[in-house]
Amino acid sequence: MSWATEVEELRRRRKLAKQQGGKDGVAKQHARGRLTIRERIDTLLDPGSFQEQGLATAVPDYDDEDKFLGFVPANYVLGFGRIDNRRVVVGGEDFTLKGGSPNSAGLRKSIYAEHLAVQYKIPLVRMLEGGGGSVRSGGKRRGGGGGGGESVFGEPRFKIISDALGEVPVVSMAGGAVAGFPAGRMAASHFSVMTKYTAQILIGGPKLVERALGVSLTKDELGGAHIQTKSGLVDNVADDEVAALAQCRRFLSYLPSSVYERTPRIESNDDPGRMEEALLSIIPRNSNEGFDARQMVAMIMDKDSFFELGADYGSSQIVGLARLAGQPVGVLANDCRVYAGAMTAEAAQKYRRFVEMCDTFHVPVVNFIDQPGFMIGPEAERKGTIRYGMAAVAAASQATIPWASIQIHKGFGVATAAHYAPNAYVLAWPSVETGALPLEGGVAVAYHREIESADDPIAKRAEIEERLRDARSPFPRAESFSVHELIDPRETRPVLCNWIEWIQPQLDTLTGPVRFGMRP
Amino acid sequence: MASVNVESEVTGKVWKIEANVGDNVSEGDVLMILESMKMEIPVESPVSGIVRELLVRKDDSIDEDQVIAVIEP
Repeated sequence: MSWATEVEELRRRRKLAKQQGGKDGVAKQHARGRLTIRERIDTLLDPGSFQEQGLATAVPDYDDEDKFLGFVPANYVLGFGRIDNRRVVVGGEDFTLKGGSPNSAGLRKSIYAEHLAVQYKIPLVRMLEGGGGSVRSGGKRRGGGGGGGESVFGEPRFKIISDALGEVPVVSMAGGAVAGFPAGRMAASHFSVMTKYTAQILIGGPKLVERALGVSLTKDELGGAHIQTKSGLVDNVADDEVAALAQCRRFLSYLPSSVYERTPRIESNDDPGRMEEALLSIIPRNSNEGFDARQMVAMIMDKDSFFELGADYGSSQIVGLARLAGQPVGVLANDCRVYAGAMTAEAAQKYRRFVEMCDTFHVPVVNFIDQPGFMIGPEAERKGTIRYGMAAVAAASQATIPWASIQIHKGFGVATAAHYAPNAYVLAWPSVETGALPLEGGVAVAYHREIESADDPIAKRAEIEERLRDARSPFPRAESFSVHELIDPRETRPVLCNWIEWIQPQLDTLTGPVRFGMRP
Repeated sequence: MASVNVESEVTGKVWKIEANVGDNVSEGDVLMILESMKMEIPVESPVSGIVRELLVRKDDSIDEDQVIAVIEP
């Protein structure tokens, strides 16, 4: 007697699982302009590299005499694969089955995806689509103690999600409506991306909102890309799923597979000695005029290597990943075209998360400082800006990574403290202005008696501002060794590429979990 | 083609208006200059077209996301 009968049944079940929600379910998914989970996996991974885990996991159906009638496959597909020949764990809800809302087998696999990534120390890519729990699922579970909830001694289900953020890169892509628990997973990621037209991310969907608040809104009005890129819930947006998954691949190319490895340096064909003439005049002499900080970053980093994160949120602060002499680096730069680059509550949160992520994965940081201070005004006070700002200061001041700060334009107030980690390599351009307060505003406070008693207070204020501005010079900071070097802006790339070589031995030693990993 | 609303990215004041209603503008042309946090912030046309409406005047206070001009591509 062999086991051929059981093996034949196993084959049949595997085949059924791959049929997902059947032809109709798959056709419906395509009609919505969306890929199925198996198509998403194939798009993301190197061809032929997917190795599924738990293919036969399912919810079986038996009649009253315990005769097996059939089964519904777990609506979560999970497995290993490769991206640029590096191993990853991938998983996602199968929306062709029960609208992606987890059946018991699917939920188990979705939780296990996180465990798998942490156990094998490789990145996790979640392809999310679907809802969270349903009232129908409560109290109907068999064999678990009557459906009263998880056992009191079990590990909290969400612990592994938090733990993963401190161990391996976690990336989430929303390709359709994502609500409830999966929306929480979007937030608990190092990088998240959603499709522009076919995805929405919602804490609670339209029916819940209408019942609770009496407001009738569509899914898109509640949580479309135009809302969630500005709320900061999602980092980036893509025109379609193929482009979104390409962004996931690109993001991972800058990071190590886990905190236990070092960042993957590649061969760069961009000259480390390249000097861009335009940098000499990129900062206007009139300090009220702005300039294009993204253009500056592009000129200094390896060509086409800058990958911006969260451009539509906290926009006065630019954050992203790039390469310098092939070495991945985290890039920070103020955008003086948005609130002069001031640190708003949103910019501070974006900054804090990004610095924590770089620290977690030991990615060195290059910071171009043009910081006029914390955002001020009634709105800024209402938002508690300075609390978030101080969280950003704490993240930088406790960072353990190699850090280069380039003072390029303004550096005023406490917010500027967020731009230096301990032992930072500090460079300055001749265009820099620093102090407790900018001249405008600062003069009005410090010289208010002199100004008020003048015959023409406005002319007096202008005269004092002009006098102090003329007295400014970049040289004292170099003379007093408060910066390592005062440099010609054109030298920035060569100087930073040199620094990249200096920090290589340090990067070799920086592995393992940090004291404060990234929190959502 | 539908009109395109031009929104302010910042809270601040209108410092200078550079375009007039009826002007033909190219993508990237400066429509007006706002002032916020002591910085001059140019507002560029997101598309090429005709300026149909300018919804603010010099020295007006404006809010983030406020529609300040309408362009017909």
